Amino acid sequence: MSRPRAPILRLGDTLIASVQEALIDADLLGLRDELVVDVKRYRATGVIIDVTVLDVLDSFAARTLRNIVQMTQLIGAKTVIVGIQPDVAFAMVQLGLTLKGTDTALDLEDGLARLEVTLGREGRAR
Amino acid sequence: MADQESMLSVAPISREEVVRRKAFLEFADADVAILEGVNEFAARYTDSVIEDFYRHLMAHDETRAFFTDPDLLLHVQKMQKAYFRRLTEGNYDEQYVANRVSVGAIHERIGLPVKSYFGMYCYYLRAVLERLREEYKESPEHAFTVFKSLMKLTFFDMGLAIDTYIESREHTIQMQQEAIRELSTPVLLLRPSLLLLPIIGLIDTQRARQLTEQLLRSVRSNRAKVVVIDVTGVPSVDTKVANHLVQAVEAARLMGAVSIVTGIAPDIAQTMVKLGIDLMRITTVGDLQSGIEEAERLLGYTVSKITCTEKARGKEQS
Amino acid sequence: MAWHGSKLPWGAKAVLDEIVVPIRSEVDLVTARLRGREVASKLPFSSSELTLVATAISEVTRNILTYAGTGELSLGLVQQGQKMGVSIVARDQGPGIADLFSAMQDGYSTSGSLGLGLPGSKRLMDEFSIVSEIGQGTTVAMTKWKI
Repeated sequence: MSRPRAPILRLGDTLIASVQEALIDADLLGLRDELVVDVKRYRATGVIIDVTVLDVLDSFAARTLRNIVQMTQLIGAKTVIVGIQPDVAFAMVQLGLTLKGTDTALDLEDGLARLEVTLGREGRAR
Repeated sequence: MADQESMLSVAPISREEVVRRKAFLEFADADVAILEGVNEFAARYTDSVIEDFYRHLMAHDETRAFFTDPDLLLHVQKMQKAYFRRLTEGNYDEQYVANRVSVGAIHERIGLPVKSYFGMYCYYLRAVLERLREEYKESPEHAFTVFKSLMKLTFFDMGLAIDTYIESREHTIQMQQEAIRELSTPVLLLRPSLLLLPIIGLIDTQRARQLTEQLLRSVRSNRAKVVVIDVTGVPSVDTKVANHLVQAVEAARLMGAVSIVTGIAPDIAQTMVKLGIDLMRITTVGDLQSGIEEAERLLGYTVSKITCTEKARGKEQS
Repeated sequence: MAWHGSKLPWGAKAVLDEIVVPIRSEVDLVTARLRGREVASKLPFSSSELTLVATAISEVTRNILTYAGTGELSLGLVQQGQKMGVSIVARDQGPGIADLFSAMQDGYSTSGSLGLGLPGSKRLMDEFSIVSEIGQGTTVAMTKWKI
């Protein structure tokens, strides 16, 4: 049972994980595991991870986010990372963390719109 | 800020460095004793030396210009007197060093050129030499000995002051550059969700950093989905600049915005490829015009020209 | 003993207000970043620069945990002449880094990750030096100046 540092909400076929505060490594890994379970359980086709609150995204966090994207993809869901702040984005590229191959959007609203575009209408019709 | 002020007066150069410099100048305890020995004598002629000194400064246009403010002049004269007296008071320790360093900083701050600074020291030494010659007419050897010690100390002072001078100058330059950078980059909102960042002039790391920061903040506040970065006005795009560009593009992507780089001249593009820069990491389009059209296309706009007949029809209907 | 440094600082560097954060578990990583921000905030750094500092701290303290298990992080303000900056020193008594040169290249890693984060951290800061001795430990010292 992961701590409520990143509660996962369900919006139709989309899961929204909203990070509430600075996560320690175990929390991130917990989030990953929980998302995988939930994607399977609810047959979710879309996942949004909102990291607006995070003031630092280091190599571990980037790696774990990429893992989540890959793992959820294997079980049929598309993930969009949203809410990376300007300072954080800047620090990340300096570090060489580009999250290549991962979909990103400005915030939750844009993230949901992006999922809609990516998944097409069928995504919602289920 | 008050904290910073007091911190600035702490240990400007290390104790080891002070020891090294004194050793190189061969300024030792014997010299300290010699200088202390003429302290009383120095007290007697301080006023006249300082007055002559100022007459000298005022007699030359360049230096007179710095002391037009009577309050400043009075203040500086007091300081100069104190400085002069200090030369023969002994105890040339950390506080002495800190004091000399701040003197240098002050002179740099008022913009006094180094040549004038050196000229002033030269005047001092000559004035003192004259007085010493007078005082020790009977024992010229002693005058000579005192002068040698004084010279060592004075050159020690000059070394400290000039170091600070240079550092102060560099600091000022950096702050000015920072100010210029902040003034010079507009990020324009061309259409909803479309930003244009036209870059003009040379890009160094600092500027690139600032441009990227401004771009990213604009992406957030304008909810931009497409950014056109135009480098037509950048005279030289080398590996470093190209890397900065790539980083800006990648950072914008992390915030959900796609970037189009325009204005990279064909020969520069060639150089970049030769240098191994992966142009595939950024989308480049020929000129600004095409870049904007591409951006609009991405955003779902269609731009079409109204023909003459359509215009006419429009007029009829209204 | 191997050494790799980007710039040898000259002159005196007085370290002021130094605090030491013990690094023993991943909770300490978060603490380290927070303390790092606090210390750096004493100088007028931009929020972007503060994030760079916090990120660099995250990387080097993470290395301590991954490769040495425990260590400590020293944070303080430094002064060199007229400029002031924040100093970060990460120390451990771990196994040390065998091939320092490779470790400083991008993409190098012995733990199957994105690399030791060392070259990246170097990019985030203004001064960077690392000393490592097999069987003795590693010390990474970084400084960011506020102009």
